Order: sequence, then C-alpha cells, then structure tokens
Amino acid sequence: MCRKQRAAIFAVVILVLVAFAAAETTRKEMHFKVGRRASVSIVNAYGPISVKPGPGKRVVVTAILYSDKVEVDQSNRGHRVSVFSHLLDGASPETGRVDYEVVVPADANVTLHSTTGPLHVEKLHSDMILEGSGAVVDVRDVSSGHVQIKTLNGPVTVTNVSDGHVDITSVSGDVALNTVNGSVVHVNSNSGKIHYDGDFGDSGDYSLTTHSGDIEAIAPAYASIEVVARSVQGRVENDFPLQPEHTSFAPRAGSTFAGTMGEAASSVKLLSFSGKIHLKKR
Amino acid sequence: MTCEEFERVLPELGDGHTFEQEAHLRSCSACSDLVADLNAISQQARLLQDSEDPSPWVWNSIEVALRQEGLIRQPHLEHPRTPAPLLGWKLRWLVPAAAMFLVAFGVLKFQRGTGQPRVAEQQPPPVGVETAGLQPMAGEDLQLLKTVGERMPSMRAEYEANLQSVNAYIRDAEQSAHSDPNDEVAQQYLRNAYQQKAMVYEMALDRSLP
Repeated sequence: MCRKQRAAIFAVVILVLVAFAAAETTRKEMHFKVGRRASVSIVNAYGPISVKPGPGKRVVVTAILYSDKVEVDQSNRGHRVSVFSHLLDGASPETGRVDYEVVVPADANVTLHSTTGPLHVEKLHSDMILEGSGAVVDVRDVSSGHVQIKTLNGPVTVTNVSDGHVDITSVSGDVALNTVNGSVVHVNSNSGKIHYDGDFGDSGDYSLTTHSGDIEAIAPAYASIEVVARSVQGRVENDFPLQPEHTSFAPRAGSTFAGTMGEAASSVKLLSFSGKIHLKKR
Repeated sequence: MTCEEFERVLPELGDGHTFEQEAHLRSCSACSDLVADLNAISQQARLLQDSEDPSPWVWNSIEVALRQEGLIRQPHLEHPRTPAPLLGWKLRWLVPAAAMFLVAFGVLKFQRGTGQPRVAEQQPPPVGVETAGLQPMAGEDLQLLKTVGERMPSMRAEYEANLQSVNAYIRDAEQSAHSDPNDEVAQQYLRNAYQQKAMVYEMALDRSLP
C-alpha cells in the first residue's frame, strides 16, 4: 500500500471517529436573567468549567454532555443561578463528563466544583470559590474579590490579580502566583511547590507556607516588604540586602532570615518545614 | 402583617395559610421565596434514603472525642447506625461540623498538652524522622478511605496519598511545636496542617460530587 493510500485511510478513520464522537455529545444552552452581584454556582462531577464575563445582566451556560448517563439540572431563584451535573446509574468519569462554558456579568460571584476540572475563570471583579480534588485551576485578570481555591493534587495558577483577597489550599498541587497582590494572599501547601512572581503590593499580608514543597518568591528591587523566611529542615536563600529586625524565633544561618526593604509596606512570610526557600531578585 | 410577624408564625405554618398570611405572601417576594425554599427542602428531605446519612465513622469520631473530653462516660454510646429517614436530612450538617470539630479538638488537645509533662513512651522521635516512611493510618482515616472507595473507587489512591502527606505534616508540626511551645511559626505549621486535613475530609464527604 502506497503512502498516499495509507494517509487517505488514516484521514477517513479520523473523520469517522470525530463524527462518531460528535454524534455522542449533546449540547444544552441555558439563559438566566440576573441582577447586580448575582451568585452563580456550577457543580460538575467530571469535566471542565470555564467562566468568562459577558455584556448585560445575563448568565449563559453552555453544557456539552458526553452521554445519556448524565443530566444537567438547573435552578434560578432571584439572582441565584445553580447548574449541576446529575449523574445517573452507571455513570463513569468518561460517560459522566460535561463541559461547561459559562458567561456571567463581570460582578457575579461564582462557585465552581469539579472533581477532575480543569477550572478556569477570567476577567471578573467578584468573589469566587473554586474546588476540585484533581482539577487544574487557572484564574486570571481578576480584581476586587475574594479568591478561594482548594485542590488536593491539582496545580493552581493565579495570574494578574489586583486588590484581591486570595486563599489557596492544596495538598500536593503546585501553586504559581504571577503578579498577584492584595490585602491578603495566603497559600497553604503540603508537598506542592509555591512560586510567587510579583511586587507584593503596598499594604498586604502575604503568607506562603509548605510542608515539604519548595518556595520561590521573585520580587523587584523596589519591593517594599517586611519579610520572614524559615525552613525547619530545608535551606533558605535571599538575594536582597535586608535591614535586620527582631523576630520571635532564634535566627539560624541558612535556615532563617528576616528583615525589611523600603518602607516595609507589606508583610511577607515564607515558611516551610523541609522545603527550600528562595527570595530572588528579579 | 409585617415580615417580622410572618417569620414569628413561620415555624407553625402548615399547608394552609390564613388570609392575612396569604396576603403577605402575595405582596412580599422575600417571604414567599423563603416559604418556597423551605417547602423544597422539606420535599427533598422526604426523598432522602438511608444511604444519605452520615457514615458510622462520624458517630464513632464524635463519641471518641466526647469521651476524651470527659463529656460522656459510658463505655459505649448507643446511637442508631441508621437513623430514621426523617431525621437523616436534619443530621447531614453533622458531617462537615464533625470534621471541623475534630480539627478544632486536635488543635486544642495539642495546645493543652504542650504545657504538661509526657511519659517516656510518648516522647516523640526527633523532628522529621517519621516523614520518610508511611505511617499506619488512624481508624477515622481508614473509614474515610473506605467511604471514598465505595463512592469513587478511582479516587481512593489519590486520597490515601494525600492523607499520608497531611498526617506526616501534622506529626512534624506537632513535634516542632512540642520542642518550642512558644514558637508562633510552629503553631502556624500546625494550624495549616490541620486546615489541610479538614479540607481532605470536606472534599471526600462532599455529596454534591461523586
């Protein structure tokens, strides 16, 4: 069989598979009229949820169902919208999968749950809760809201958050914060690594803590911080010339450092039990 | 009739309403929404099966915690393992509450213990020694894994690994805090470790997910 024939057969097989897959899915679109600061909750057993802002005071939920082993239920009371995947008997992660694309007003508070994820939220100015044991979580371009994220081993990326209150808890997922600042930024991880790249804002409380995961914080020379770093069993490194200050614990070379930079506007705690900590200059 | 007056009579409301109550419900969307929500909850509660009741480990954990606190003294607290279906929905709040209670109890128990002398066999080994190997799990953890295995078998290994990590963190944090009870950072490790454990329990018992 010549190469052209094989390529043609391969293409036909792919087309058949794509057509078969398309025939197996069902698309459902739901529209809700809401008011200011609406509350939108999406609970999805298996599959991604993506939330973006849209014009007007409307919530549009598009759901792609992968089999008849799952249904999408909805409720709308006042300005509360709830949509959830209802698994039927015999549903598996494959057949129970639903892909959600959600458009909400930019000021809508959202709550997203999915075991597998991924979970994605962008360009909102509101509070949000994202939970998923293994879900990859990606939050970007949000402001003026409380961002709460919980995962077991799903990696978390938060990018470009201003004036936020960020709470992240993960057991073994890595957490990356890029240009994130606000009044409170707390990350509590176990074996996952924490990476922070930003300027720590001008009046925030930053706490990045792990058990065994490494912590790397990258800041510019102009950062205005009061920093405490400590690893009980790991090593700490610091690239900045800090003004020394008193700490509640006895300093030990190589495993702790503390001091201030600039006007020390923000408080920064980098704490690990056995992970390595590095405060890097950008 | 005002909303306040209506809320006062709400607990006694049956299927029928007085003319005054009907008039208020027609004119007040907040109260009519409230009544609709309560009716929906009541209807759903009737549909709940025994399987929706908190699992036996919750009862066992509460019993152990209460006995350790000296709040109960009987060797065996008799509790129905399968409470009547009508009570089931009312008790579901106990699942997260019990998880939070256990975490708070653990922290309190530890904080009380730091000021007291300990017997030799209870002295912890050097900090960090135990983290290298896997430790046997406590009964509550095993019960939780059993529950996870029944509900979502594919997730059991993931939960087991995460519980092992969290337990190792708790052990290290406790040892660190024991070595210096006034160390704020050690207390912070401990709070964080227990917060992680609460999260694992919360996720495992979240009934909105499989």
